[in-house]
Amino acid sequence: VTDVRNEDDAAIGERTRTFDYHDHRLDGIFDEYRWLHERCPVGRSEELGGFAFLAKLDDIFAAEQDPETFSVAPSMLLPPFATDDPLIPIDIDPPAHGPYRKILLPAFTPRRIADLTPGMRDTARELAQACVDAGTADVAATFCLPFPLIVFSRLCGFPEEDWPRFGRWLHDIIYERLTDPPRARASGDELRAYFDELLRRKAQEPRREDLISVLLDAEVEGRGLTHAELISYCYLLFLAGLDTAAWSIRSGLRYLGLHPEAQAQLRDDPSLIPAAAEEVLRTMSPVQGMARTCVRDTVVRGQEIRAGERVVLLFGAGNRDPEAFEDPDEIRFDREKNRHLAFGGGIHRCLGSNLGRRELVVALEEFLATTPWFRCTDPEQPWFGVGPLTLEFTERP
Amino acid sequence: VTRVRVTGMCQGHARCIALAPDTFDFDDEGYAVVRPGCEVVTEERAAAVQRAVLNCPEAAIVLDAEGGDPVD
Repeated sequence: VTDVRNEDDAAIGERTRTFDYHDHRLDGIFDEYRWLHERCPVGRSEELGGFAFLAKLDDIFAAEQDPETFSVAPSMLLPPFATDDPLIPIDIDPPAHGPYRKILLPAFTPRRIADLTPGMRDTARELAQACVDAGTADVAATFCLPFPLIVFSRLCGFPEEDWPRFGRWLHDIIYERLTDPPRARASGDELRAYFDELLRRKAQEPRREDLISVLLDAEVEGRGLTHAELISYCYLLFLAGLDTAAWSIRSGLRYLGLHPEAQAQLRDDPSLIPAAAEEVLRTMSPVQGMARTCVRDTVVRGQEIRAGERVVLLFGAGNRDPEAFEDPDEIRFDREKNRHLAFGGGIHRCLGSNLGRRELVVALEEFLATTPWFRCTDPEQPWFGVGPLTLEFTERP
Repeated sequence: VTRVRVTGMCQGHARCIALAPDTFDFDDEGYAVVRPGCEVVTEERAAAVQRAVLNCPEAAIVLDAEGGDPVD
């Protein structure tokens, strides 16, 4: 019996040794998650410098509630976002973390986001109309990416004349950090230099109703933020606020473009769209995993994790955990219980989750309201990322 | 009689505010609070409150029977 089990363990270890949750590895990862839930809910990979991973929703949740065991140092990002410096506030542990986070909490409350909504609708409708007018369009480039970029850049106070430069920085830092690290680094350096200059300029100007102004006037423990801290905070906002929203909108439209019955359902009853958005977030989470570092020996589901090990919380797997969700791989607009962790949880819950949710809901509502019907012409385009998504617009069948 | 409260586990996901706006509000930092006077879950608000409980990612919403024993 022992031999069989050891062989089994060896086979499991052999399979998870090469596990990764980035880029092309996301093709077919839902099958992999299903296998992890059955055979290896806590495992180890040798990729990315080596990491343990947690696939069960309960285990991910528990780790997020325990920052004294699971530290965010040196970075939640594995590999990091083209920088060796911790990003504020996500890469900061308590007690320093709270004061940084508090600065922007009031800017992201449901009421503040509701105030932004009419402007968001106008932007979404204009962009969607341009897609329809083209007949066939790569809506990733013409809707999913520009919509949150416009909304979030206005909120932050990133000047409009600079927006055309943002796409390459985002792509290089987030997506090329695995395939072409020097290119990611070069763009990271450019982005920091951009904020260095922008922050110096805005510090001299009258304050406006934007997040950069809030940061410039903010105090943590009786002092203002240093210039380096300001750059770090802006760098994080830029990377967190633009790519993830675009991903979720693109994945939602792709799903509707491939599932006419679901598209018809939302067109006939738009009150289902918020629930549909939750299912899009749950099943195709833009952040499939975030890393921690175990800082004291611990045990998760019978598996020892040692101090010093990197530990990846696989939100994408947890959100498809059969013990947490009935028919976890099904998108169901009438799902009653949906405690997904697409925005993480605990003290590092995505600061912009209210904005991200609203952007997705508004994007789907306005896209459906502006277009008569659409379908995906290339089902081979991946479900993940922000690459091309070709939609053809027709009359409703 | 069932009473509802939000515990210190709340991290401001605001699902309850979306699903049961008659019962939940939020403070200046976006953390959920039960609207004053709404602590007792009336029949007409019960279904929405239950949805909020089932969709709170932090399991931060607790229902208590009048005696103080957790209901769920």
